[in-house]
Amino acid sequence: MPTKKKIFIIIPAFNEALVIQDVIREVQTAGYKNIIVVDDGSTDNTHAKARDLLKECALRHKINRGKGGATKTGIEAAKLLGADIIVTIDGDGQHDPNDIKKLTDPIFKKEYDVVLGTRLMNPKGMPWYKIIANYFGNFCTWYLFGLWVTDSQSGMRAYSSHAAGVINTKADRYEYDSEVIREIYIYKLKFIEVPIAVRYTAYSMSKINKQGLVNGIKTLYKMIWGLIS
Amino acid sequence: MRFHIYQIAISIISAIMIFKGIENYVKGRNGQTFLKVLVRVVVWGGMVLIAIFPTFTNNVAEIIGMEGNINAIILVGFIFVFLMMFKLLSAIERLEQQITTVTRNESLSEIKKEK
Repeated sequence: MPTKKKIFIIIPAFNEALVIQDVIREVQTAGYKNIIVVDDGSTDNTHAKARDLLKECALRHKINRGKGGATKTGIEAAKLLGADIIVTIDGDGQHDPNDIKKLTDPIFKKEYDVVLGTRLMNPKGMPWYKIIANYFGNFCTWYLFGLWVTDSQSGMRAYSSHAAGVINTKADRYEYDSEVIREIYIYKLKFIEVPIAVRYTAYSMSKINKQGLVNGIKTLYKMIWGLIS
Repeated sequence: MRFHIYQIAISIISAIMIFKGIENYVKGRNGQTFLKVLVRVVVWGGMVLIAIFPTFTNNVAEIIGMEGNINAIILVGFIFVFLMMFKLLSAIERLEQQITTVTRNESLSEIKKEK
């Protein structure tokens, strides 16, 4: 049975004060103790709530930099703390921590460098417009970056220490998820997709900063800009 | 040659802008490079040239290969604006990345201290 002690769970969070402690506790209940929350310049008390449970592993960006920026900060922190496997999940409780094992096992067996959680292999509960938007995002990611995946925008992923060392993203916002796909392609990292559950709650669907149509267009623009600039 | 008010006004303003650019460069003020002075001379000098010799634009159109001097001016202006926007967006992108790096380093400082 693979040990869990060198697995770090990264949770980037922006204005998640209502749910962040529940998310942390769920991850701890699933058996993972190395948790890093990165508060991305929240205007509520997300950081204070996380700090109550995690102490020095509750990091904070003084100004909002975006999901990609916060995720990368968490990954850098995990690398400093000697992580062997780094798992990222969303801070709004959409991801089920019981799926973490599905992501880490392939890396523990040294078969893969990156494991991508995909909602589209099991889209139960996913709104139809999100499924369509996801396919469009997948198409754009494939067209621009050369790699087809079934869920290019998933925030639940696992990286080996080797992958975390070579992947070097510059994107700060939602285009980060697609940029990781590009890095996988450029560095020829071995990857696999595993189905994950997703929980769309009234709370998570009400978040203004989610990847909606406007943010989707901004993401596409940034992906194209990153290629031509 | 009779000058109109707008030609005089543009000439004075352009002269001031060119003079200020050259003055800043000669005095070694921060951020003033030879290229910036050159751009200033071309832009403001071009405006004076067109204001005093309007038929000059016909020559420009002929050189570019466009019919009509207005079309040539619009095209050149459009290209220039596009280049400026590209440069500005690139600079903004660079600044955003620098801000993120500083923010990240600041948030990781506690962990780095303990290491």
